[in-house]
Amino acid sequence: MKIIASYNIKGGVGKTSTSVNLAYIAAQQDYKTLVWDLDPQGASSYYFRVKPKVKGGSKQLIAGDRNLDGLIKATDFNNLDLLPADFSFRNLDLVLDERKKPTQRLKKLLSPLTEEYDLIILDCPPNISLLSESIFAASDILLSPIIPTTLSLRTLEQLKKYIKDNKLKHLQLVPFFSMADRRKKMHREIIDTLSEKHPDILQTAIPYASDIERMGLERKPLGAYLKKGRSTVAYQLLWQELLARMNNHET
Amino acid sequence: MTAIPLHFELPDSQTAIKFLKKLHKTIDFEIASQQYTIKTFYDSFDWRLYNADILCEFNQSKSASYISLIDRNSGVTFVLEEQQDVPRFSDQLQNGRLKTQLSALLEMRALLPVSQLPHQVHHINVLNKDKKTVLRIRLDEYESLANHITLQPLKGYDKALARVSLLLQNSLQLKTTTPSATLDHALKYQGRKAQDYGSKLALKLDPKMRAGQASIIIYRQLLRTIQMNECNTIADIDSEFLHDFRIAIRRTRAGLSQIKHTLPSPIVAKYAVFFAWLGQITGPTRDMDVYLLSYEQYKATLPISLRADITPLYAFLKDKQVEAQKELAAKLNSPNYRTQLANWEQYLKAPLAKKDRAKNAHISIKELADQRIRKVYKRILVEGEVINDSSPAEALHDLRKTCKKLRYLMEFFQSLYPKDKMKFLIKSLKDLQAVLGDFQDYEVQEINIKHFSEEMMANNIPSNTFLAMGVLVQHLDAMKCAARDQFAKQFTLFEQPENQRAFKHLFAHKG
Repeated sequence: MKIIASYNIKGGVGKTSTSVNLAYIAAQQDYKTLVWDLDPQGASSYYFRVKPKVKGGSKQLIAGDRNLDGLIKATDFNNLDLLPADFSFRNLDLVLDERKKPTQRLKKLLSPLTEEYDLIILDCPPNISLLSESIFAASDILLSPIIPTTLSLRTLEQLKKYIKDNKLKHLQLVPFFSMADRRKKMHREIIDTLSEKHPDILQTAIPYASDIERMGLERKPLGAYLKKGRSTVAYQLLWQELLARMNNHET
Repeated sequence: MTAIPLHFELPDSQTAIKFLKKLHKTIDFEIASQQYTIKTFYDSFDWRLYNADILCEFNQSKSASYISLIDRNSGVTFVLEEQQDVPRFSDQLQNGRLKTQLSALLEMRALLPVSQLPHQVHHINVLNKDKKTVLRIRLDEYESLANHITLQPLKGYDKALARVSLLLQNSLQLKTTTPSATLDHALKYQGRKAQDYGSKLALKLDPKMRAGQASIIIYRQLLRTIQMNECNTIADIDSEFLHDFRIAIRRTRAGLSQIKHTLPSPIVAKYAVFFAWLGQITGPTRDMDVYLLSYEQYKATLPISLRADITPLYAFLKDKQVEAQKELAAKLNSPNYRTQLANWEQYLKAPLAKKDRAKNAHISIKELADQRIRKVYKRILVEGEVINDSSPAEALHDLRKTCKKLRYLMEFFQSLYPKDKMKFLIKSLKDLQAVLGDFQDYEVQEINIKHFSEEMMANNIPSNTFLAMGVLVQHLDAMKCAARDQFAKQFTLFEQPENQRAFKHLFAHKG
C-alpha cells in the first residue's frame, strides 16, 4: 500500500488533474485506489460527480468521531473510490491545531484504510501549513507537479529544503513537469536544462492541453472520454514512470 | 463497508425488455452495455469451491473473458481476473489473487465445467440528478432459466440500493432469490444438484436393520463411488479420481472381510478376488501419482544448491506415471473388468431374500457392528502392545493394516452411534494411523527412490541428480526414524484407559 500526495505549495499547477487521472489509470490496472479530496474547493469531487459534503465536517472527521470508511463514495469506475471534500476543510489547519500530535493525525486516520486499498492519493490544497505537515507525515510519495517557469522552480527548491530541514526521510519527493507548453521557448529551455540538473524530475511531462481542460465539462477522468489522445498517453507514461520509481525505491 | 448485492428473479412471463420499460417509468438509468455472454460454472468434482461457499464463474463475451469468484451467501464478487480460458489446474494460472484462492482450496483437483449457460447480459447504471452512477443493475437474461437481476450497490450509496430494492419488490412484484439460484436451477435442469459427490462415506443405517440388508446398502454406495470415478480415472483428469476409486475398492474389500458372514461365502470369495485384483492393478499409477504430488516437498527438503539437480527425477516419474496410467486405462476398459463389475452391480440389485443365507445376515447390524469393532479394536491392542524398539518393520505394517480395518468399520457404522463419541474415537485412531502411515510411506519411498536411481543410471542422467536423490533418501530415512520414535508415544495415547473405557462402553452390545 502506498500513499501518494499530489502536492505543490503553489495553486493551479495541475494537482487535481494529476490525482484524478493517475487514480483512474491505477484503478484500471487493478490497483484498489482511493482519492481523498482534501481541497475545500472540491475539484476532484466535482470531476467524479460526487457532492463535496462530509457528514460532521472537518471537526468530526479529524476527531475520529466518524469512521473514514463510512464517508467514502464509490466513483463510476471500478476499483476507484473517493473521500469527498467539504467546505469546512478550509479550517482543517485550525481543527488540527486543537489536537494532540496534529502532524500524526492524518496518518492515524488513514491507517485502517491501508488494508482495503493498494493506493491512496491525497489531492492537497496548495500551501505549507499544519495540514501539509500532516500530509507529509502520512505519505510515502510527494508527487509534485511543476510548471516549467522560474517561479515554480523556486518553490521546488523550497520544498526540497523543507523536506531536508525537517528530516522527512520516509518521504520520496517526485517532481514532474505539468502544463508544459512546448510552443513556449521558456518552457522548452527550462525542461531541457532542469532535467539534466535535477535527475529526480520524471521524464514524462504533462502537456498544457485543452483535452485536459475538458475534464471540467465532461466531469470524468481524461481516460474515460479520451482513450488515445496525447494527454491520455502522457498520464499513462507518467504512471508507469512513477510506478517504476516507487519499485526502485523499495528495492 | 459496501452493502451486499441483492438478487431478484423475473417471473417467466416477463422479458428483459418489459422489465426495462417498467423500470424506466420510475428511475433514471442508462444502459452501459448489452452483450451476449457464455457463462460457465466451474468446480472440482467433489465441489470443493461450493463447499467453501464459493461460486466460480467463467464469463466469455466478445469484448472480454474473465473468471470471477463469488461468495455464495452474500453474492459479493471477491476476485475477478481476465482470462482467455480456464486451465485444468489452478497452478497453471498466473500469480495473483485468483491463483492463491483457488490453489488453497483445490490443491491437486482439476477445475471442471459444471454447467454452461449462454445468455444476454445487460449492465444498467442507475443515475442521480448529477448523472452520477449510484447503483449498478446486472440483468442476466437466459433462454430457458429464470432471468436473474442483481443489484450491485456502490459504496456510500446505500439509499439508492434501498430505494430500487423496494421498487422491485413492491411496485414490480419481483421475488428475491439467492446468488446461487441460477446454478441451482441449471443443475436441476441437468437432473443434478450441488454437492452430489463427496469422498466421505455418508451412510445412514438403522440399528435394527438386518446385517445382510445393511451390508448391501454399504456395498451399493461404494459401488456408486467406483462408478462415478471410473470414467475420469481412465481419462486421468486428476489424481483424486483414482484415489477415490481406490479407496472405494479398499473399503469394499474391508467390508467383504470384516462385515463377516452377511453375504454367502462363495460370493464373498469371488468378489474378494476381483476387488483384490482391482486394488493391485490400480496400485502402480497411484504410487506414481503420490511421488509426483510429493515432488515439490522432496525438492524443498534439499539444499538450495541441489534443488535444480533433481529435475530429471520428475521427468522419470512422469514417464512412469504415463506408462502405468496407459496400462490401467486398458485394464479398466477390458471386458473382464466391465463384466465382473456389472455382475457385482446385478448381485447388489437383486432381491434381498436370495442373499440372506449367510450366518450373520439376520442379526441386527448394530449387534454385528458392536461385535466386529470390539474384536478388531482388541486385536490392535494385542498387536500394538508387543511392539518394542527392536520389533521388525513388518509388525508396524501389520498393525497399520489392522488399524485401517477398524477405521473402515467405524466409518461404515458411524451412523449407529452418538456422533460426538464416534468422532472422538475416530480422531484418536486417526492420530495413531498417521504415525504408522508416515512410517510405512517413508520406508517405501526410501526403497523406491533407490530403485529409481538404479533405473535412471541407464538414462545418461547427470551425476548431481543422484547426489540430490541420495540427500533425499537420507531425509526420508530420518523422517522414517522420527515416525518410528513417535509410535510408542502415540500408541500409549491410543491405549490409555480413558479410550479403552470409551471403546468398551460404546461398542458393548446391550441387546
